[in-house]
Amino acid sequence: MPKPKVATDWMCGCAGCHMSLLDIDERILKLIELVDLRSSPITDLKVPDECGVDVGVLEGGINNTANEHQAKLMRSRCKILVSLGDCAVFGGVPAMRNYFTLEEALRRAYIETESTDSEGQIPSHPDIMEPTLVRAVHELVPVDIFIPGCPPDADIIFYALAELAQGRIPDLTGDMLSWGTSTKS
Amino acid sequence: MVNITIDGKQYEVKEGSTVLNAAQEAGIDIPTLCDHPSLTPYGGCRLCVVEVDGMRTLQPSCTLPVGNNMVVRTNTEKTKAARKFILTLLFSERNHLCSFCVVSGGDCELQNSAYAEGMSHWPIQPTWQKYGVDSSHEFMVLEHNRCILCRRCVRACGELVGNFTLGFEERGSRSSLIADLGTPLGESSCVSCGTCVQICPTGAIIDRWSAYRGNVENIDKTLTICLGCSVGCGIDVFTKDNNLLRIEGNWDGPVNHGVICKVGRFHPMKEDRQRILTPMIRKNGALKAATWDEALDAAAHTLKPAVGQANSGVAALASTRLSAEALSAFKQIFADGFHSNMVTSIEEGAPTAITAQLADELKTSFEGNLEGLLGSDCVVALGINLIDSHEVPGFFVKRIHAEGTKLVTIDPSSNPMDVLSDHVLKGRKGSDLDLIEGLHAALYKKNFVEGAAPFDVEKILAKAVIATGISEKDILAAAATIGQSKKAYFVYGKGITRNNDNRALKALLDLASSTNQDDSRNVLSVKGQANSVAASRLSLDKTFEMNGHKVAFIAIGDDEPSERLIEKVEKSPFTIVQSSYISKLTAKADIVFPVENWLESDGHYMNLEGRLQKANKSLQVEENIKSNVEVFKELADRVGLNLAENWEVELTKRTPISCEIK
Repeated sequence: MPKPKVATDWMCGCAGCHMSLLDIDERILKLIELVDLRSSPITDLKVPDECGVDVGVLEGGINNTANEHQAKLMRSRCKILVSLGDCAVFGGVPAMRNYFTLEEALRRAYIETESTDSEGQIPSHPDIMEPTLVRAVHELVPVDIFIPGCPPDADIIFYALAELAQGRIPDLTGDMLSWGTSTKS
Repeated sequence: MVNITIDGKQYEVKEGSTVLNAAQEAGIDIPTLCDHPSLTPYGGCRLCVVEVDGMRTLQPSCTLPVGNNMVVRTNTEKTKAARKFILTLLFSERNHLCSFCVVSGGDCELQNSAYAEGMSHWPIQPTWQKYGVDSSHEFMVLEHNRCILCRRCVRACGELVGNFTLGFEERGSRSSLIADLGTPLGESSCVSCGTCVQICPTGAIIDRWSAYRGNVENIDKTLTICLGCSVGCGIDVFTKDNNLLRIEGNWDGPVNHGVICKVGRFHPMKEDRQRILTPMIRKNGALKAATWDEALDAAAHTLKPAVGQANSGVAALASTRLSAEALSAFKQIFADGFHSNMVTSIEEGAPTAITAQLADELKTSFEGNLEGLLGSDCVVALGINLIDSHEVPGFFVKRIHAEGTKLVTIDPSSNPMDVLSDHVLKGRKGSDLDLIEGLHAALYKKNFVEGAAPFDVEKILAKAVIATGISEKDILAAAATIGQSKKAYFVYGKGITRNNDNRALKALLDLASSTNQDDSRNVLSVKGQANSVAASRLSLDKTFEMNGHKVAFIAIGDDEPSERLIEKVEKSPFTIVQSSYISKLTAKADIVFPVENWLESDGHYMNLEGRLQKANKSLQVEENIKSNVEVFKELADRVGLNLAENWEVELTKRTPISCEIK
């Protein structure tokens, strides 16, 4: 049986979920034995193969037109799509922005920040993406597996990926869901 | 009893109980959110829905009374789907992103419910509508974005505290928790008891102090009692890394049943007095750090000549916040060992001493308890303000008052209870005795007491009218309310026991017993501080004066000395103080012993009902600080006295004020 192909990508997140993935430490060698990691933001190849992968993992929510493109591309090229972490699953911390208008958020970020001088302006160019409301991945494309957590515990990520690598759907219930409680200390 | 089948098993349950209670008693877990064991069922969240044979739709088990031969299923595909959908709707309404909420990670019942239902995401994302935050209150924050509209806080504020500050305005998604008629919480009629914080299932009402400092999974909890006053409420003290995080009322507390006041919940968080970390001895006019041996030796050296000097030796005073163990050791040293005629405790006007003397005189206990008060249908409050001190009995009175119990307030001074009262009798100062006798006479006049009066009814009544300045009509009206009640309860404070005069109290006992129909006790006084009753049992209850004594020994513990006490100690040629904190008193001391505060000590306390309860320490003490008992023991050793550890026996030496509660 050929190794399952895996691709990951990050969108509107902090990369913390990928850091938590690396927190599985030496078990990453075991994981690499089980899967063929095709592309990820932390490897040379950034985009999933055109011929498709078995498992796609997305970190971060969708907060602009570029993220929309990333999510749709991943969905179209993977069989099983995993939402990894609170931003992908719920919108997460960036979704705090949704309680304000885009105009207010951009003004705060590019003009009113304490470290910005009088030249600060909201970027605007036809080539850059358009910001949108922060959305969970499943608001845009269907998602098969949700791994909540901010970030999800390394053990839970390892469990989920190891199950997927062996052709099983991970059963995330009980303590596997309750990040920040008994699984962490 | 009725028969009910839950999940295929038959149970016999009490008629009138709800399906939820029946299931809980049978050990079957039905998830709930708006329900709380201490509150009336509300049926707001619908998380507890069950399938009932013969009923078209799912039923909320918390409000559904059991019916005979009812068949209930609690865990079917239909109920599971409904629960998930209910949670989905709750999460979609407001901001329930756990990653930036203070109570997430074990303390949030909404989060826990979602985990229990196996929810990994929200099928319906939030509407991102912004709600307000009210941070006007000194101790609490209302975070409307986290509110699930369950109304637990509203019910607790009314049903448990009797305060009715919280309520709701608007409808649907615009529903909003409000204080009074929309006043900022900090400016509202809120009494800062914090019951709403404790009962809120989410992070909608949070306390400022413990926010973000740890959740239930990684903090320690100690069950103990509050030492804020003589009520002795059961509390849970939450600590982390030997730091106080927060205090909650213990729901199983036999005295308070979960409710506490701001003195218990929030005031300990404001503790900003400076701790004493080393023994000190005055040298060349200034207090200098010393070792324990030096300080104890110096104290023993000064105290030794005072042994046997009843009038001109040592005057000893202990705080009634000290444990029974410490008070007993204190008494053994200074009363039994030194034979001083001035060995007492700080009560400063509390009615305990006079009440205890009367019990001795009558050779019987005559007071009831808080449970009795809660069962009363007419409360007569004499010379007492239960709004500003001893608040928990005050909550009880307000609670039953809202349910129809009449309230008669007798106090010459303006009293915040006046506005709640059905009758306010404001006599001239010092006319309490006449008023009580007048009420008694009025009961006879209105034929609420059988038999002939042992006094001239009209004469006594006329005398009361003249002495108090209250009209006969008002006295008769109040007496009619008392007479018509099934169980009148008389709660009194220092207002009627002033100047060591027990005549008003005696008259009150006569009045109370004449209204008593079932011979159970119906009088209760609120006493002074946490161990007021134990101190009085040890006869440590006279008024403190130096009276020519050469040394003052003040075991103030973690208490705050009053100006009056400091003035009295000023006359003392030599002063030894045992204290947790720096104060004006320690500034005047010649020797200072640093001791534990209430959170750091174990010990027993006797509450206003005579209930003996154990306080358990929740914090570890600094290395160089000793317990009050340890200091007494070491001091006794040095002056050649033996201390017995029979404090329990010592407590039984006087007639108890109230019937014992085990």
